[in-house]
Amino acid sequence: MATIGADLVRQMAAGDREAFAVFYDRYAPVVFPLILRIVRERADASDVLQEVFWEAWRDAPAYDAARGSPEAWMVTRARTRALDRIRATRRRGDTFVAPLDEGLAAPHESAPDAAERAADRGTVMSALDRLPDVQREVIELAYYAGLTQTEIAERLKQPLGTVKTRIRLALERLRAVVKTSA
Amino acid sequence: MTHEPYDTLAATYAVGALDGQERADFERHLADGCDVCEAILRESAEALAALARSGPPMVPPPAVKEELMRRLAATTPARRGAARPRPLVWAVGTAAAVIAAAAFIGTYVAARYEAQLGVMARESAALRAKVEREMAVLREQTDVYANAADLLRDPQTQIVTLRGLGPSPEATGRVVWHPVKGGYVFVANLPAAPPGMAYEIWTIGDGAPRPAGLFQVDPSKRGAHRIDPVEGGKPVKVFAVTLETSTGVPTPQGPMVLASAK
Ligand SMILES: [Zn+2]
Repeated sequence: MATIGADLVRQMAAGDREAFAVFYDRYAPVVFPLILRIVRERADASDVLQEVFWEAWRDAPAYDAARGSPEAWMVTRARTRALDRIRATRRRGDTFVAPLDEGLAAPHESAPDAAERAADRGTVMSALDRLPDVQREVIELAYYAGLTQTEIAERLKQPLGTVKTRIRLALERLRAVVKTSA
Repeated sequence: MTHEPYDTLAATYAVGALDGQERADFERHLADGCDVCEAILRESAEALAALARSGPPMVPPPAVKEELMRRLAATTPARRGAARPRPLVWAVGTAAAVIAAAAFIGTYVAARYEAQLGVMARESAALRAKVEREMAVLREQTDVYANAADLLRDPQTQIVTLRGLGPSPEATGRVVWHPVKGGYVFVANLPAAPPGMAYEIWTIGDGAPRPAGLFQVDPSKRGAHRIDPVEGGKPVKVFAVTLETSTGVPTPQGPMVLASAK
């Protein structure tokens, strides 16, 4: 399915700076909160955002629409680069993990943001909200905090198999939510 | 070799949590070519992208874009062909560029809308079916349901889920809401209000909650009520229902029984 987003990437691959500007305007507001959620400092998040979009420009010729949407392409890249950033700035074994009950909330969120999020959740129904707590927890730890299955098992004092099963069930659920809405 | 263990490995890999020997084994398996695992990874990436989108947008500092555009201009001077053929999509891109220049967030909304069109369409379809089922049950409220069903055909219409709170955890509700035309609230599993009491619906935007009408539920614990549009089409961020005296109150006083998000 051709989307405007995929067309923009194609135009970027041809060196079209205007297409890049539009692409940025479309996807930066999606990936910026994710980056901020992971790195937590606005200045760091801005650096990572710039790096991520610079790479998108550079790698645009390699983008293959059959392998995923431009959005997934950007989100995957943003998450990876954000985790690279916290791993570079934090000592090993000292991985910062946001309180779990904070959920997806960004740090220092203002009241209007919270209200907007609430309204958004009401209308869009966050896929994460549909997960049982134990599944949501493993997604938080793996996806947002960058912990490995072994680290998660230690942290939760659960067998590795349990952690893996929860991740699988969580992702199946998330995928089902996306699939049924696609 | 059976495929089974790879389902779990693929999921764990998709969230970046696979480590040790398992990671090495799985990457070897991927390198050998496995359509099933690749599909799991692809769908997982889309699901995680949808998750990223499900929060509110955040406009990044303008300096980031300015710096990027400077870098682009500095390093890619003349890659653009002068007389490159421009397909129709290019026209769309150009139009969007104009919008982007005028209103950053406007472009974002367009992108978001495009991405969520599918979500809304599916939810609308399911809810339309539900509304239609409920229409049959509640003939006395045919007007409300017919108007709501009409409203659902408008692409601007949103469907907001209400969840039961404190005194009525079983209660559920939906608001079919159009920013200009207003909308309807439908509730189910809500106990009848005690004598002298009624349910009051509130729209909450930036200011104080606005009373948006009083309603009662029928013996089947269902109710429906029209919600007038907010003056000036101001956005409603939360819908809530409280239990109040049957004449209504200007600001919520009684217990909240339903709300659109918590
Ligand atoms: Zn496989």
